[in-house]
Amino acid sequence: MADPAGAPCVEVVDLHKRFGALEVLRGVSFAVDRGSVVSIIGASGSGKSTLLRCINYLEQPTSGEVRIDGEPIGIERRADGSERRRSMREIGRFRRDLGMVFQQFNLWPHLTVLGNVVEAPIRVRGLPRRQAMELARACLERVQLSEKSSEYPARLSGGQQQRVAIARALAMQPKVMLFDEATSSLDPELTGEVLEVMRGLAVDGTTMIVVTHEMGFAREVSDRVIFLHGGLIEEEGPPAQVFGTPRSERCRQFLAKLLH
Amino acid sequence: MSENLRQMLDLGLFWEYRSILLAGLAFNFYVFAASASAAIVLGFLAALARVNPLRPLRWLGAVHVETFRNAPDYVMLVWVHFVMPLLIGQAIGMRVTFAPFVSAVIALGLVYSGYLAETFRTGMQAVPRGQIEAARACGMGGVLVMRRIILPQAVRMMLPEAMNNFVSLFKATTIVSLITVPDLMYRVQMVTQQEMRPLPLYTGAALTYFVLIWAVAALARAGSERWRRKIWA
Repeated sequence: MADPAGAPCVEVVDLHKRFGALEVLRGVSFAVDRGSVVSIIGASGSGKSTLLRCINYLEQPTSGEVRIDGEPIGIERRADGSERRRSMREIGRFRRDLGMVFQQFNLWPHLTVLGNVVEAPIRVRGLPRRQAMELARACLERVQLSEKSSEYPARLSGGQQQRVAIARALAMQPKVMLFDEATSSLDPELTGEVLEVMRGLAVDGTTMIVVTHEMGFAREVSDRVIFLHGGLIEEEGPPAQVFGTPRSERCRQFLAKLLH
Repeated sequence: MSENLRQMLDLGLFWEYRSILLAGLAFNFYVFAASASAAIVLGFLAALARVNPLRPLRWLGAVHVETFRNAPDYVMLVWVHFVMPLLIGQAIGMRVTFAPFVSAVIALGLVYSGYLAETFRTGMQAVPRGQIEAARACGMGGVLVMRRIILPQAVRMMLPEAMNNFVSLFKATTIVSLITVPDLMYRVQMVTQQEMRPLPLYTGAALTYFVLIWAVAALARAGSERWRRKIWA
């Protein structure tokens, strides 16, 4: 086991991802400290979502590493220095600690709201039913949907569905939450309630990696902002710097286009 | 209507033999239940093979589906009853015979596993990818994803089509009399030989099958619809 005290919560090292001839990520490295919020911004096609999906191995990186508390997800290094690719089963063990929230919510429609939230704690973590229920209720409380716990997802608004999805991820008590454009498929009047929940999580000290188009949110909530362009980190720093005095011309252009 | 025709269509004769005939109908149910169970298990395995990432397994699944879906029930029944035991006998060097009931279950089970495999496959593939990714992102493994996320939805989605498969299978059970399974049709033929009045007997059999299949299918459809509507409102 790596020493979790010294290592950053999430560490991405020289990550490459290629789809056939197309290289979407061309060597991305960054680290996320425990309790901090990192926003990833950039034009569509810049590789933001692919980067996030590589972090929990929904996409297998072509090369490079993702480390959780210092331990690489995809590769096992033995004491004798040899390396071995981990099986899907082992990767699944890491995924428990990475809560993921998708653009399309991806709730399971055949389960109630409560069913969606208790499913993984019971089946994957192996929590006793009662304990899982308590935990799930607390998570639904946190996204302010306690009163909907016995509804089916089809009867909820988009904003409510996304909040359930957040509760579902929280119920696994992950080390870090990954948000993949969590508000992009919502009507404008519904994004507020989801951003409000995310803001609350940040205030409570949740470690978060947020791919987003909501510049106001990124500016206000993040500890650090990463601007991705063409599969590379083009600009990186505290929000005041990235939004206020970006060094990169491309980043300036991107922000100018969004603000006007 | 002539007196003659009325006499021919008088279902009294069918009613007279009801206990013998109903006992035959029970055989239709036995054959149906046994071959449906076999078809569900085999069809599910074939469907799993067809959606498997491994190419040889996908290929094997496709061969299974195409072979049995395209074999006529009747030909399959005769082949399984008369040819298959010979081939097996040759292979193991012993005389082998199948009881008619066993042949009927094997033949219909195989044919309908071909149809059900396709029904299963379409149902499984209809579950959106994102839901499977969400399950994987929670750390669920392949078996858990199949059992908890894909199957519960696939079964609901495939129900109308599966219901059609089962209605066809039940109708197909009426040909098992050809290899002397003593079902309703077989007994109708026997009684006909004795009474020499085929009209009321065959008409009675047709009506019995029709009412039965229609009522059961309508009930099953109504039940499954209610169950489906709960999640896809």
